[in-house]
Amino acid sequence: MLIVDMEKCIGCGICEKVCPFGAIIVPTDTKKAKVLENCTLCGTCVNACPYGALTIERKTVSKEQLSQYTGVFIWGEWEKRENIPHIKNVVLELLGKGRELADRVNEELTVVLAGYNVEQLVSTLFHHGADKVILAEHELLEAYTTDGYATVISSIIAAKKPSIVLYGATPNGRDLAPRVAARLGLGLTADCTGLDIDKENQLVQTRPAFGGNIMASILSPYTRPQMSTVRPNVFKKPKEDKTKEGKTEIFEVKLKRSSIRTKILEEIHVLDEVVNIEEADKLVSVGRGIESKENIKIAQELAEAMGATLSGSRALVDIGWLPHARQVGQSGKTVSPNLYLAFGISGAVQHLVGMKSSDVIVAVNNDPEAPIFKVANLSVIGDILKIIPELTKLVREYNTKKESEEI
Amino acid sequence: MTDNIIITETIEEIPLETIRVIEGEEEIRISHPGYLFDESKISGGHAEKIFFPKNEQEVATIIKKLNEEKIPVTISAARTGIVGSAVPLYGGVIISFEQLNSVKGIGYDEEEKRWFVRLEPNVTLSELNDVVKLKKFEENQSIPPEKNWVEKFKELNTYYYPIDPTETSAAIGGTIAANASGARSFRYGATREWVKRIRVVIPTGEILDIPRGKYRAKDGNFIIKTKEGEIKLVIPSYEMPKAKNAAGLYAKPDMDLIDLFIGSEGILGIITEAELWIKEYESHMSNVAFFDNEIDALHFVDLLRKKSTFKPEFIEFFDKNALTLLREKQEEDPKFVDMPTISKTVEAAISFDLPFDEETIETIISEVGDFLRQCNSSLENTWCGYEERERARFKHFRHAVPEIVNNLIAERKKTYPEIHKLGTDMSVTDEHLVDIMQFYHKKIEEAGLEYVIWGHIGDNHVHVNILPRNMEDLEQGKLLYKKFAKKAVEFGGSVSAEHGIGKIKHEYLLIMYGEENVDQMRQVKLSIDPNCILNPGNIFDIEVKK
Amino acid sequence: MKIIVLVKQVPEADKVAVNPETGTLIREGVASILNPFCEYALDEAVRLKEEYPEKEIEVIAISMGPPQAKSALMRCLELGADRAYLLSDRKFAGSDVWATSNALSLGVKKLVPDFDLILTGKQAIDGDTAQVPPETAEHLGIPQITYGVNTKIEDKKIVVKRETEEGYQIVSTRLPALVTMSKGSNIRRMPSMKQILEARKKTLEIVSAEDIGADDTKVGLNASPTQVAKVFAPPEKGGGEIIDGREEPKLAAKKIFDFLIANNFI
Repeated sequence: MLIVDMEKCIGCGICEKVCPFGAIIVPTDTKKAKVLENCTLCGTCVNACPYGALTIERKTVSKEQLSQYTGVFIWGEWEKRENIPHIKNVVLELLGKGRELADRVNEELTVVLAGYNVEQLVSTLFHHGADKVILAEHELLEAYTTDGYATVISSIIAAKKPSIVLYGATPNGRDLAPRVAARLGLGLTADCTGLDIDKENQLVQTRPAFGGNIMASILSPYTRPQMSTVRPNVFKKPKEDKTKEGKTEIFEVKLKRSSIRTKILEEIHVLDEVVNIEEADKLVSVGRGIESKENIKIAQELAEAMGATLSGSRALVDIGWLPHARQVGQSGKTVSPNLYLAFGISGAVQHLVGMKSSDVIVAVNNDPEAPIFKVANLSVIGDILKIIPELTKLVREYNTKKESEEI
Repeated sequence: MTDNIIITETIEEIPLETIRVIEGEEEIRISHPGYLFDESKISGGHAEKIFFPKNEQEVATIIKKLNEEKIPVTISAARTGIVGSAVPLYGGVIISFEQLNSVKGIGYDEEEKRWFVRLEPNVTLSELNDVVKLKKFEENQSIPPEKNWVEKFKELNTYYYPIDPTETSAAIGGTIAANASGARSFRYGATREWVKRIRVVIPTGEILDIPRGKYRAKDGNFIIKTKEGEIKLVIPSYEMPKAKNAAGLYAKPDMDLIDLFIGSEGILGIITEAELWIKEYESHMSNVAFFDNEIDALHFVDLLRKKSTFKPEFIEFFDKNALTLLREKQEEDPKFVDMPTISKTVEAAISFDLPFDEETIETIISEVGDFLRQCNSSLENTWCGYEERERARFKHFRHAVPEIVNNLIAERKKTYPEIHKLGTDMSVTDEHLVDIMQFYHKKIEEAGLEYVIWGHIGDNHVHVNILPRNMEDLEQGKLLYKKFAKKAVEFGGSVSAEHGIGKIKHEYLLIMYGEENVDQMRQVKLSIDPNCILNPGNIFDIEVKK
Repeated sequence: MKIIVLVKQVPEADKVAVNPETGTLIREGVASILNPFCEYALDEAVRLKEEYPEKEIEVIAISMGPPQAKSALMRCLELGADRAYLLSDRKFAGSDVWATSNALSLGVKKLVPDFDLILTGKQAIDGDTAQVPPETAEHLGIPQITYGVNTKIEDKKIVVKRETEEGYQIVSTRLPALVTMSKGSNIRRMPSMKQILEARKKTLEIVSAEDIGADDTKVGLNASPTQVAKVFAPPEKGGGEIIDGREEPKLAAKKIFDFLIANNFI
């Protein structure tokens, strides 16, 4: 229930301005905020009130009430590449997993797509398994902002009462989801690597902790929806089925410029090329063993010969030999390519956490005790500065042979 | 009851063919070249065979056979030594200890009231500390088995093995054979003091089981009773230096037999099992104090040693040249020396670890503050950290100097492949510290050479590193090295305080002990190893036989 | 001007493991430290204090945790915080993200109601959730900027350089606000012995649930929507083939090549 503290309320009307549902008004006679029936308890006004006059009292939801929450929601995060919006890969991965979860409880799978001029993305979502897309468009949603997106997503969740909401654990997902959780008084499990439904139809959320040394399974028994952010590259993208269709529901967004409190002054793209090591299917990854910045070139050559992408450990990023975007590990990216070739990476847990789920791991290190060997399918003890050039030579010879055969 | 007579244990021989072996000098050179080198990087190592025994019985079998056939043998474990002790310069056979790498158990000595660990020689220092700190013992690993020491040990606070000769991948057997020490020997002494018991294979293929305190010299000798007869070991009569020392055989009139083997660089017997004391872990804080001149820094060392009410774990020194190297490296790569900027006016630094707990910290710091003021420095000028990861930063800082030096030399090798670092390892007694430091600086500066001085000043044991820029520098440096050795001995010190003699410092052993005393050491060697098969070339050259 | 730094004490993450049989955490020999990202936040606060002397910045460190978490706050005081508070009460036990951030926000409102800026680490290395800071900002009704690497104060605004997937963004917001810090380019501070001594003379108070007016329904296990069902060791991988290629790099390269061909990677 939304409660107005009549003593604190001065009737400034900010709540009326920010409410996405027009569910709170300040009548001219009383000069005090009044809550209307259509209030969804989305919490936008509580956050906006400068006088702390509004509070929401949430009771834990009873078993019967729990069952009123149905459906699996996914936040449809998108990004602009060459000025064209693209759905993020993690959303497609979530559609695969979300489909499985929705089928288990026999409910609908919905993507919440907020943005501006993003309608073109809807069909991709259907092709990857969504039953429904809630499309919320507004010019203030053209770029991601915490305030803008938190308001829209909270109000959609409050209005639609889903049972599960999933977000990609991307920088923006990790910025948005906790804001929504706090606003709606919900549990949120971060960086999940496993999702399942138990016998009581609860979402079992599994995540690594302590740098991946332990795993924890987490439940949200008394609140709905159950919310998780999910690591990219953990679940497989489903096969695209271009024949699939679904329903699109337009959600009217009421958003004011004044309710977005942050302002983006400048975007700095540090990379001359767009690297996305998370989406690469083959990675050639280098660590401290490469010894000098110049030597990175030999790894780059191997990557080029193999059609792989170059990535690296934190050590190299810290000393500025590789850009942050190429960093694998806890403080970098989680990757799960088909092939992960690790050269001169000893494999601190923080690194392992970011690449353990790769299909095949080949590790080369001069230290026989290197922890990376514990997760590798093929471990080679040796000098990477000698082995890499030899390997590049072999790959190039093979490529040339192949080419000539094809001609 | 102590005794000077020890009776050997015999072991049932097994067929030699059952022991894994790699044969052929060429084959070894191609497929196992690592076994021909150690961290000394000296060349010339070669061998006919490498054996890989799994246990003491196999080691004893091999040694017996080799002794019968008079074939030299070099023991190979982690190969982290820097004086070539594991390099098979005289060919023959290598015995790799790779498979003798298990921690066997833990026990409590009720008389001494101390805990100890039993282990095989190829367990490394870091493995030992990993097992001890994390208490990775199985229930059946109590010594003796009927006591439930493992269970009791698991209830205790954190324990560890305090000897820290920097290179934690060193094998325990090697550290005992070399009597390894490092910075912390200032507080805890060298390896010697932490060895409770060893088992040693001697050239007859028999075993000596030597617990500390059981066998003491009488009338200047020990008697080993073997199956075949008696071996008499006459203890050399020279006096050991009072300063920290790792050169030559340990000798004292009433010495313990165990001490003859510790630090003997493998020339008297092969250690196949050891028991080491461990101690409760104490929290420490790491500090680095800075001084505008070296005399102040040396004065501070003196105050820490003589006037403090607490005992530092170690005291380490950096001279102005070492600090310049660090400063330059810091500008080029701030992550490499992950520390605040070092002021340009500073000419010496002292790194020291102190006990840390909230009860005493204010008293200790105030006391250090007094000392610093007397030495024209201050608490404000002194870095301090006590969280484990902070202390790791300090540790990295301390180790950065040798690392930078090695990189620098590697760079110069590109122009002059013959060039190498000239690093001294000499100690003196407390009263001669200032004198030797001034001697070092004066002589090298006169010669116009590039150098840094750093190291274990708590034990008056600094490493002078001469960094030759060309072959001339190298030759000049070698001459200086000899001068330093003579001076250190004059000042009651040692020509090798921790690295040992190995195969590359024979001439300095002579400087320190003189021909006659070295001969006494030779006699001990010849008594127990008449065919000179064990680790030939260590301490003396191969001509030991004559 | 008042800057609050919210910090957490954590075990050194890479040393914690789970006993695979009992499923309990092995914390033997694992030291507790100030979460590294929190330390970056504190360093940033102290840097701001030094950079804007005219603003008379006071840095206040606040943490929630068991009594021994005092040592993490002591480190903050050593590194330059002016005073510190530890929210410590049995009633806080079992708090999840929501309950923790709620308690922290109540603590902030009570202890430093006139704060201008809150700095936190982007995440703690034990839980890695990165959720407490945004949820705290929401409870306090202030804007947030996550993944900052550098901050500047301009009048009533803060300008933050933040990491994004493509590089960096410069974002500004009005104060009061909350900013989470990633590892910046600053060399980590190192307290002097003098600071170690002085820290022990600064205010470090333990604050109870009652002190911050938190009733049982708002903190601790009761106020936590999530529950840990179980903790277990991650499944082991590996056990693949091992080749010693130290002597024969050519041969080793060939073996890798054969392996890649056999698995259709080339």
